[in-house]
Amino acid sequence: MRKATRIVAITLALMAAACSSSNSSTTSPGGGTTKLTVFAASSLTGAFTQIGIDFEASNSGTTVDFNFGSSTDLAAQIASEGTADVFASASGKAMDAVQAKPGVTGRTDFATNQLVIVTPANDPGGVSSMQDLTKPDVKLVLAAVGVPVGDYARQALTNAGILDAATANVVSDEQDDASVLAKVASGEADAGIVYTSDVSTAASSGTHVRSVDIPAALNVTATYPIAVVTGATRSAAAQAFVAYVTGSSGQATLKTFGFGPPPAG
Amino acid sequence: MRRALPLPFTVLAILGAGFVVLPVVALVIRVPWGEARHALEGVGASTAFRLSLEVSLAATAISVVVGIPLAWTLARITFPGRSVLRAMVVLPVVLPPVVGGLGLLEALGRGGVVGRWLYSALGIQLTFTTAGAIVATTFVAMPLIVLATESGLRSIDLRYERAGAALGGSPWYVMRRVTLPMIAPQLAAGAVLTWARALGEFGATITFAGNLAGRTQTLPLAVYQARETDPGGAVLLSLILVALSLVVLIALRGRLAEAR
Repeated sequence: MRKATRIVAITLALMAAACSSSNSSTTSPGGGTTKLTVFAASSLTGAFTQIGIDFEASNSGTTVDFNFGSSTDLAAQIASEGTADVFASASGKAMDAVQAKPGVTGRTDFATNQLVIVTPANDPGGVSSMQDLTKPDVKLVLAAVGVPVGDYARQALTNAGILDAATANVVSDEQDDASVLAKVASGEADAGIVYTSDVSTAASSGTHVRSVDIPAALNVTATYPIAVVTGATRSAAAQAFVAYVTGSSGQATLKTFGFGPPPAG
Repeated sequence: MRRALPLPFTVLAILGAGFVVLPVVALVIRVPWGEARHALEGVGASTAFRLSLEVSLAATAISVVVGIPLAWTLARITFPGRSVLRAMVVLPVVLPPVVGGLGLLEALGRGGVVGRWLYSALGIQLTFTTAGAIVATTFVAMPLIVLATESGLRSIDLRYERAGAALGGSPWYVMRRVTLPMIAPQLAAGAVLTWARALGEFGATITFAGNLAGRTQTLPLAVYQARETDPGGAVLLSLILVALSLVVLIALRGRLAEAR
């Protein structure tokens, strides 16, 4: 009996020690390196990786770690774990969620993106217009409902009046834009809808797909907000990163990766 | 009879047990019981459940039919490259399933090494179909029945089979009447373990077959998608998988003890 008590006591002590050590000193004292954690929409992978390299080069002593994923997913992670210093979202909705919990400061729109239809280079489904997405037997992949690019794609299909006919052709609801592009680039799907920036990013890494424009009147513009997450342990560096993204060199990098400028005003 | 363990050992064991049990307990705590029914409907639980049963049972059936002869060959026939083949056959157990899915795409996808021919000659495209989900699941789960069968075959005394043959039994007869009954417990345990693994398959399926409700969206995929739109529903679905797998493993524990 006494032995059992001792075992429990030691176990609890070990657990307490483990917990307290993980809580202490996440900020670095003067002189050391600051590790900044940025959560960003997966469509930003190419552009932000480059921006991160440039930012580190001009801010010695700061390293940037990225966590790329679906914005909705990232927002949920930030709410439950709170490890992000900066959040860059592909939708205002996901940013709203983070703004509600745990809160953000300095929220600003920094880029826009539009949608484009992609097909494999040899166009097996014969897709050369948005209407062609409704042709029988066209294998269409979209991002799932709830993923920003999936919701935007359905909005564009609704604008064209072909939502039902096109979704009847959907063979897979993918978890993000990168997965949609992969299914198309591998030639398994006949068509997909992704961001224009995805096509430029893919081309720069050697993945070639054919793109089919969505008419401007039907297209959807995704506006990307960025903000410092409340409770960020490295808020000075986080503010510097946000300033870098919205500044001239960050904007130039975003442009080369196919993003548009933030909406005026 | 009680056996004493060194104290630090017991402490580590308690930490280990807590680590494994905690996430399951957390799921139970976080289940939105009040709106359970509504949440399950929202995430298409019954469709995913039915598809999961269909896919996992089909994958288990294929694994048993192909895996047992394969294990037999590996255990009883000596041929060059046998150890390499054995390692390859077991590989899916340790391989990240997404890698298996990519391999399947390159092999059986519409543009794949074999899939190209399947598509052009027979018009068969496995990706985005239930058949594709079964293929991906079989790839990941089959090694378990192979391992179980092979270890069963290696554990029995060869003299029984020799005696059967010496008494005039054909190889097929000896296999059916002598060997199979002797390794039946291992086969059963292996099949159940294969099924449990098939039920939990995620990475190879989503990579190779995609994710569409009613066609390729099994329970694990439904959990993954529900996280985006309905975290409460995702927790509920997870709990269904936990309960199913636990029942299987507890049943299996009895089986394994019997086999000994």
